[in-house]
Amino acid sequence: MFKDLDPILHSQLRLSIVSILISVDEANFNFIKDSTQATSGNISIQIKKLRDAGYINVKKSFINNYPNTAVSITDKGIEAFETYVANLKKYINPGE
Amino acid sequence: MFNHKTMDKTMLTPEESLSLITKTIEETKERFKENGHVLVFWGTLILIVIGSQFILSRLELYKFTLYPNYLYPLVGGSYMTYIWIKEKKKNLPKTIIGNILGNIGWIVGMNLMTMGFFFSDQLGEAMAPVFIILLALMIIVCGLSIKSRPLTIGGGLMNLIGLGSFFLDRDYQAFSMMLGVVVGLIIPGLLLNYARRKDNV
Repeated sequence: MFKDLDPILHSQLRLSIVSILISVDEANFNFIKDSTQATSGNISIQIKKLRDAGYINVKKSFINNYPNTAVSITDKGIEAFETYVANLKKYINPGE
Repeated sequence: MFNHKTMDKTMLTPEESLSLITKTIEETKERFKENGHVLVFWGTLILIVIGSQFILSRLELYKFTLYPNYLYPLVGGSYMTYIWIKEKKKNLPKTIIGNILGNIGWIVGMNLMTMGFFFSDQLGEAMAPVFIILLALMIIVCGLSIKSRPLTIGGGLMNLIGLGSFFLDRDYQAFSMMLGVVVGLIIPGLLLNYARRKDNV
């Protein structure tokens, strides 16, 4: 239907995650979970898809003996997001 | 409108996508809204140091006037370390702008302290104006970066007070410094706190 829109980004949760990562340097899993109110399983799946597309970096570490997953957007992810937003605007305002 | 638990099963329209992006970015920024406690703290600390130095010099206890400066590293340093530990525990993501502002704060703060401790003789009567102007520049940059009108206006007024204090006699520069921190730090800090409380209602 919306063929110019990147299918990786054109999904609610993945788009939410990328929108969060656009605003911050790096976010951990709990912050994303808290912000999106999605389930851990769902977030994990979408993070994996975004990572496989090269849009985000995932760094796993331990903080005070607790596992910590830090996620940040890549240059490719920023570029894809900007293109996605530009295409969205074209759909909304086709004349412009 | 957006049910995140059932996400990815539904196809978004372009309008919904744009709305989701705007909403998410706004909400993320909202969580990082700066609070004014740090500004009020530093404003009060500077006020106490300068006020006590003024009183000591009025009492002609000149050899003790340097001692209140030690409150900056002792009280200020302890408070900032406490804030840093608290933030670290929350494990919140850092924003690029937050990082930049934090670094500017440390750099300007260290320079002001170095100037106060080691170069007060060389700076002489220019000490207070330079101190106020540097502080004002930092506040203006912060204000413009986080788009805070109280900070930008407060910093701008503080800058003018700093420039004006070049015309003042050294004995009265303490007053311009005190006025500067009230206008540039304490009032904007209180206004930021008020705005934050109002938003949380």
